[in-house]
Amino acid sequence: MKLEVLPLKLEERTTVVKEALDAGDRLGLITSIDGGQLLTLLLSPQMHTVTCFQTPIEDPVYHSITSLVPQAHWFERTTMDMFGLLPQGHPRLKRTHLHEPYAFEGAPLCNDVRDVDAHAYQFFDVEGEGIYEIPVGPIHAGIIEPGHFRFSCYGEIILNLEIRLGYIHRGVEKRLTEVPCHQARFVAEAAASDMPVANALAHVTAMESLLDFVLPGSCQFLRTAALEIERIAMHLSDLGGLAGDIGFLAISSSMARLRGLALRMGELLTGNRLMRGYICIGGVSMHSSSESRRELIKVAEQLKQQLEPVIDLYLANQVAIDRMEGIGKISCSLAREFGLVGVAARSSGISYDCRRYWSHALFPGEDFEISVEQTGDVFARAKVRIREIKSSLQLLMKLLQEPHAGPDWVPLPEELPRNSSAVGIVESHRGELIHLIITDHQGKIQRYCIKDPSVNNWTALAIAVRNNLVADFPLCNKSFSLSYSGHDL
Amino acid sequence: MLHLLSYLLSRGLATNKLIPEVLADGVTGLPKVTRNKCVEDCLACVHACPTDAITLKTVSPIVDRGACIGCNKCVALCPTGTLANDSATATYAYNREDLLVEAEQIKLGSGTRGGIFDGSMAVRVVSTGCSACDLEVAAANNPIFDMDRFGMQVVASPRFADALLITGPVPRAMHQPLLSCYEAMADPRIVVACGTCAVSGGVHRNGYAGANGVSPILPVDVFIPGCPPHPWQIILGLLAARRLTGRRRVTAGEGKANRSKALTGGEGI
Repeated sequence: MKLEVLPLKLEERTTVVKEALDAGDRLGLITSIDGGQLLTLLLSPQMHTVTCFQTPIEDPVYHSITSLVPQAHWFERTTMDMFGLLPQGHPRLKRTHLHEPYAFEGAPLCNDVRDVDAHAYQFFDVEGEGIYEIPVGPIHAGIIEPGHFRFSCYGEIILNLEIRLGYIHRGVEKRLTEVPCHQARFVAEAAASDMPVANALAHVTAMESLLDFVLPGSCQFLRTAALEIERIAMHLSDLGGLAGDIGFLAISSSMARLRGLALRMGELLTGNRLMRGYICIGGVSMHSSSESRRELIKVAEQLKQQLEPVIDLYLANQVAIDRMEGIGKISCSLAREFGLVGVAARSSGISYDCRRYWSHALFPGEDFEISVEQTGDVFARAKVRIREIKSSLQLLMKLLQEPHAGPDWVPLPEELPRNSSAVGIVESHRGELIHLIITDHQGKIQRYCIKDPSVNNWTALAIAVRNNLVADFPLCNKSFSLSYSGHDL
Repeated sequence: MLHLLSYLLSRGLATNKLIPEVLADGVTGLPKVTRNKCVEDCLACVHACPTDAITLKTVSPIVDRGACIGCNKCVALCPTGTLANDSATATYAYNREDLLVEAEQIKLGSGTRGGIFDGSMAVRVVSTGCSACDLEVAAANNPIFDMDRFGMQVVASPRFADALLITGPVPRAMHQPLLSCYEAMADPRIVVACGTCAVSGGVHRNGYAGANGVSPILPVDVFIPGCPPHPWQIILGLLAARRLTGRRRVTAGEGKANRSKALTGGEGI
């Protein structure tokens, strides 16, 4: 979606944002272009509009809006790290991305050398008799990305969890402004490669809007199929992980087997299990023969058939349900206040699915049901995932049975227009993913900003585990399916 | 419980019996160089490569598989078929230079049998990247690929690990944790760099975050290229690691040099 950047005065900023959120808008992201301004992206799902406000800032200090708009807290901390803009009055101002080894260099995305507060990171201290801390990470026990968790506990109960990320900050946003724009998709995919399709789709959606080009349905149809296959595969993997954390290994390995089928679908469509490098500007990079599409339908049917008994066995097991019910609860009001997205929001009663509101691939044209649960616990998140797997499978089969005739790929100009900006919003399996691209006066990408759904949802984990048992933490963590690399970029 | 057992029994064995020599039909692997002659001044592959993994040596290209992300653009653009898709499952190498592939030359390491971990090997996985490789390492552990049957176990602590498998480009904030993990391992020990990012930094190479792969920080024994490598490629790479004898503890001086290099963000390949 092409964006018009509207000016907004610093004094009016807090009121404008607060009023918009009260009226039902979402805070998309807060960032800057080169440290001389603040960008605020407001999404209005009901109106299908996105508004981008630019607030010029001369002094690198501005008033934080976090105390009024809690969901801004992480964005303001990140903006401080990357641009050296200091949000005054932020209740918990700490670095998110840059660790001590970066202390003597300025903010990496800022034009002028601006010193960032280089104090050593201080964890939140919980004091009192019998309170102790459990530090976990950055390297975890399993096969998972790095991040540090600091639990403050009383007995077996978690009183506070502080999450420190940024260990795999690789400078993706900066790299995206350096590479030629026709190669940028590979870097965009690498932002979080357990959702390469969603990242590539958000990237090309933004790029194609910049070029003011609307692709024919035949190009979009295969992208939609790929996105749904990715959702199925990742939801299966998360459900299997949940079962594994309960100790229900029969289900966890059955899910791994089913995920094998989902990956086989990806392989048939794109030649790659994770469908990397498939979506490119102008369509998709590989032609799929009608033969492989027939094979794909066969595998999809197989998956549908084999899924049912596994789900039935999972939900018929009272021990498994007891372990999930009432654990890691997030209330609807908290979910709204912290701007949660994806499965985390939908299982707390917020009916928000980007596929209904924002244009990407064939959406919002395709019909599907938004799965919503009210209880906001681990079990609700599992149930939402199960229903989404089923609805995605249904959508996929429908798509494959009535393919759009036409080309898979159309050539598009390689030069981007000058001084323009566009945004691509995609419902990944984790939730709302935003890619924002801004070009300069030469038509080069000046700023590329990625807002991974995990940026919103990491806070949810910290809230959800409060007053739960330490032993339930892995379960809560898995139920949110958070990305470290997507946050750290 | 009985329902569960009868279901599991009815499903039979999922595991593939043999490790295939090539990946399934239509699956993209890494590029290889054939003996076909290039068109003069073509350079299509060199310009198309997103990670600058292809260079020209007189008339035919050299592909650095350690930098290749397997996007297959070069193969699709090659007018003469000089570059072709190689779907072999054995892609590992013992030396970084062996990943540079010339015409019909793929140098796989030929380590001798009888390595000290040949019976079994405990693997500690440290992820420092985008999690695609992690998914595939986890898949290598699932019922379909099942690397446990080869005696390879993923363990939860470096203290009882024989091999350290690293995924991702090791950005700056992970240098110190990775070194600590390595130092906590008993010797002899083996380091495996899994995935193009771990081998060379991949698309993140030479950025401000110092994400240039494992080599600038630790001595690597086995390289497994691919973005991400297929689970078979990972299993074969680990089997290759088992044939090694393992490294003795680095001397104090060496360790110190490595550590200070890592902490100052030393330049690597």
